[in-house]
Amino acid sequence: FLPGIQVDPARLSYPFSTSSWVLGTASFLVSTKLKLKPWKNLPKIPKHCRWEFRSLPIRVARHLSKKPALAATMVSLPTTWLYQDRGLRITISPHRVRKPGLPSLFPSGVCAIRSRKQPRLLHRIRCENEDEDEGIEHVYVERPPYHSYFDSTSGQLEPASGARASIPGEDCWPEGTSDRVRAARAPAPAGAISAGSSSNGQNPGSRRRKHRASATGPRSSDAIIEVKDLGNVAAEETIVEEETAEEPRDESSEYVIYQMEPEVEEETGFALDKKLGRPHPFIDPKVKKPIEGTLPEEELWWNWKKPEEEQWSRWQRRKPDVETVFLKAMAENGEVKLYGETPSLTETALYRARKHLYKEERLRLEQEKLERIGPMAYYSEWVKAWQRDTSREAVEKHFQETGQDETMQLMEMFSYQTDREYRIMMGTDIRIKRDPLAMRLKEDQIKQIWGGDPVYPTINYKQDPNEIIDYRGPDFHEPTPNMVAYLKEHGKLISRHELEQTLAKEKTEQVELTDMDDAMARAVDIGENDEEEETSDVEEEDEDSKLPRNWSVLKTAPELRKSKPKAKKEGAMNLDEAIDDSENLTDFLMDFEEE
Amino acid sequence: MASSVPFHHLACCFSVSQQEKECFQQQLWRTTRARYSSSRIRATQQAVKASSVEVPAFPLFQPSQLEEAASEQLEPADPDFYKIGYVRSMRAYGIEFKEGPDGFGVYASKDVQPLRRPRMIMEIPLELMLTVSKKHPWMFFPDIIPVGHPIFDIINSTNPETDWDLRLACLLLYSFDCKDNFWQLYGDFLPSKEECTNLLLATEDDLLELQDEDLASAMRKQQSRAFEFWEKNWHSGVPLKIKRLAREPERFFWALGIAQSRCINIQMRVGALVQDANMLVPYADMLNHSPEPNCFFHWRFKDRMLEVMINAGQEIRKGEEMTVNYMPQQKNNMFMERYGFSSPVNPWDEIQFSGNARIHLDSFLSIFNISGLADEYYHNDELSGSEGSFVDGAVLAAARTLPTWSDGDLPPVPSSERRAFKELQEECRQMLAKYPTTSEQDQKMLDSMSEPRRTLEAAIKYRLHRKLFIKKVIQALDMYQDRLLF
Repeated sequence: FLPGIQVDPARLSYPFSTSSWVLGTASFLVSTKLKLKPWKNLPKIPKHCRWEFRSLPIRVARHLSKKPALAATMVSLPTTWLYQDRGLRITISPHRVRKPGLPSLFPSGVCAIRSRKQPRLLHRIRCENEDEDEGIEHVYVERPPYHSYFDSTSGQLEPASGARASIPGEDCWPEGTSDRVRAARAPAPAGAISAGSSSNGQNPGSRRRKHRASATGPRSSDAIIEVKDLGNVAAEETIVEEETAEEPRDESSEYVIYQMEPEVEEETGFALDKKLGRPHPFIDPKVKKPIEGTLPEEELWWNWKKPEEEQWSRWQRRKPDVETVFLKAMAENGEVKLYGETPSLTETALYRARKHLYKEERLRLEQEKLERIGPMAYYSEWVKAWQRDTSREAVEKHFQETGQDETMQLMEMFSYQTDREYRIMMGTDIRIKRDPLAMRLKEDQIKQIWGGDPVYPTINYKQDPNEIIDYRGPDFHEPTPNMVAYLKEHGKLISRHELEQTLAKEKTEQVELTDMDDAMARAVDIGENDEEEETSDVEEEDEDSKLPRNWSVLKTAPELRKSKPKAKKEGAMNLDEAIDDSENLTDFLMDFEEE
Repeated sequence: MASSVPFHHLACCFSVSQQEKECFQQQLWRTTRARYSSSRIRATQQAVKASSVEVPAFPLFQPSQLEEAASEQLEPADPDFYKIGYVRSMRAYGIEFKEGPDGFGVYASKDVQPLRRPRMIMEIPLELMLTVSKKHPWMFFPDIIPVGHPIFDIINSTNPETDWDLRLACLLLYSFDCKDNFWQLYGDFLPSKEECTNLLLATEDDLLELQDEDLASAMRKQQSRAFEFWEKNWHSGVPLKIKRLAREPERFFWALGIAQSRCINIQMRVGALVQDANMLVPYADMLNHSPEPNCFFHWRFKDRMLEVMINAGQEIRKGEEMTVNYMPQQKNNMFMERYGFSSPVNPWDEIQFSGNARIHLDSFLSIFNISGLADEYYHNDELSGSEGSFVDGAVLAAARTLPTWSDGDLPPVPSSERRAFKELQEECRQMLAKYPTTSEQDQKMLDSMSEPRRTLEAAIKYRLHRKLFIKKVIQALDMYQDRLLF
């Protein structure tokens, strides 16, 4: 009897059916009799199961007859006795088993296994069917370290795998759960596949009993049929899909079918590259379609059209930058002259470049001066109390006399420096105005640059001194007007021949001048008559020269010169006018706030 | 085991009493079947209802003489019928849909023990229905009508007070044209034009066959109304997407008939919105009518489903038909007008008596063992022995419609009472004589016609049922005379 009973712990652990308990008991006893180490993780057998051991054989037989597949896993015939528990394998070598087999180990009553279908006493139980077994692959997954545990919540041994806690009764289910369970348990409609097919609403009542007989035969052959048939096919397909999706549950689905080998999909080209993260085009080249109606680059360059410059929102205005505002302020202050009311892009760029260059130049000069006269002489400017000679020779001489090098001498000199001198030298004397214009900026200009709050600037909060402003506007691509013709026409640009002529004339004139007005040439112009001369000159000049620049758009397009009179009325506008005046609602509101 | 023994005894007691009851009911049933084959006894716990009208839904009109044959002819519906709903999470529990020669019906597939709480047999999700709100802003759940579709203008042009059926018919026609709409599938199981008994599809001859001028003129009005609506909205100039919904008026009539006969009015709650709606509910509309129904509708708010539930405490036997009450307390002509069926045993039918003869109400009721208040008369079968089989819905109707008097404990005076029911009987006979045909002739006409038009059949049955009802009243008066003890 039971030369090898192999108890699957997973089977045993849940559900706690009586028969599986008994089987567990059997294996326990068997292992004890065989002086083997009893199965370590066998759960404690409840008392009420003990007495059932007497009826073990029949129950086992019933159990096995009911579930042959289970029997195949639970009972195995070969004399080598294996059972798996966390990789522990206990093997009984065949020579330990006596010749007639194991039955002699047991009292005969226990050993008899009867099944109802085969009432004869089986000498040898063959519970495993190799033929059936072929389809089933026994996979031993690693067992959990324990298979039941004492649940403090329920106060009972609970299976460690599967459903951990027992599902509470239906009374305790949350609202709606029983409905869903009932709906899920409702048997799927079982029945033959219907003969008819949907008419898609064209022919109501077509699948009733009266028509059912005719539905199997060929359908009516009208002219509309084509459309109808298409619809029929579609409907049939959908129904078939739904049927396959909602198939009644398979009763024999006790086995989990593992997918051992992942399906390998062969991917090539773009998909593979994308999957592996190799460089690949952004769009799948197979899918990619060229955008139609575009020009090649060369054509595009010449056919570029300037977009309309309509400013329809205040947000389209240029970002207020420091340079523009400063330049405008300088122009108002009279330091520079601007062509227009607001500095143009070019002017701003020029201003910025000049500012940078001047600064560089100043610094360079200072550095040169420092190097030229030496640090003692350079810094003695800020030490009034240092009256000694600071020339290089004197410094060197002092070094030879006392052994103090230049640094020591500098330190000594600075010890005579007053606080005030120090502050002036470091540029931290607040009484000295460093940049009067910046201090004199009007409030609206300050607001333009930094917003209302100097501490937490609302605009230009990234005050990057090295920020390079992108002045390219929408007309960046606009071809520059051909200036050569213009300059030639106005005599600003002359040919070599003309230049020579002019030069020749100038030479002769110069000779005359030097001869005639030597005294005048040597005289110092004290500037008495400057203004008068200039004004007279200006008056004499034609309108073109009033323009402050030598060449400008206004010269080529004189119609621009007469600027439109500002439409803005003085005084208060009424509401309608104000709305008409501003281009859109945002502008109106912002203007409204201003005024 | 110790506790189960008394329980077993109890169960035995129960089963014995059940068996007795069953025997009795079997007998009752047989006798009833012999006389009025359409009446059916229900095994309810309290009182076996006097009779229920075996009136099918409007396409499903089961002639009384054919009923035995019909119950044999019942066969399970096309498997797709339930399948198409099942995959859309409609569920039916313990019932099956069967199809007879006259249409669909819903039958219990197992016994149902009486329960304290109503038991659900069907649940139909809102997504499968077609609904229009009853009042003005028109709301559709599920909202299948796209914004700006001309069908909405048509729906909007209807009279909000009266034209609910036109709106629903438009919606139904539109759903047939809607791609992937459930009703495209379900429509195949609706009765076709030829199977409809609705009098909208009746010809003038059929209306004359009704032998009821009021009803005929009402139906003519209905027909002209429907035709005017069709002409107005389906004229030649309408866009194709409207025109193809109902190219010929018959299709619109059909849709209107479907809408009238299958509409369920129920207050539904969707989200926070509570609204009265006219709904076309698939599967639930296959339930047939009975004045003593065993089912009712219930709107389940939380997942927007319509539930069909068995009345609490109702016992259902396997194979019994599940029924609902279409319209409470309505006469046959109302059923005929809206649903296209009539019944000889409608307990709410009426006869207009012109004379001033009156019979004693309490005597009449006690003779026929009718209990309950006037609105809820029922036949008390515990009082009547084996002869309760005579009483059916028609007698209940007679108790309601006969002119009666009742004055405290005052007993009836024999002479005046005799005179009264003589007069009443006479009046009934005159009514019968006024009809151009007798009930036997009608019956013959029905039997002789092979493959009659449904509407014609329904019209003849209507007048037949009227005559049967009057005859039954005469019989009841006879029996009253016999049994009245002074």
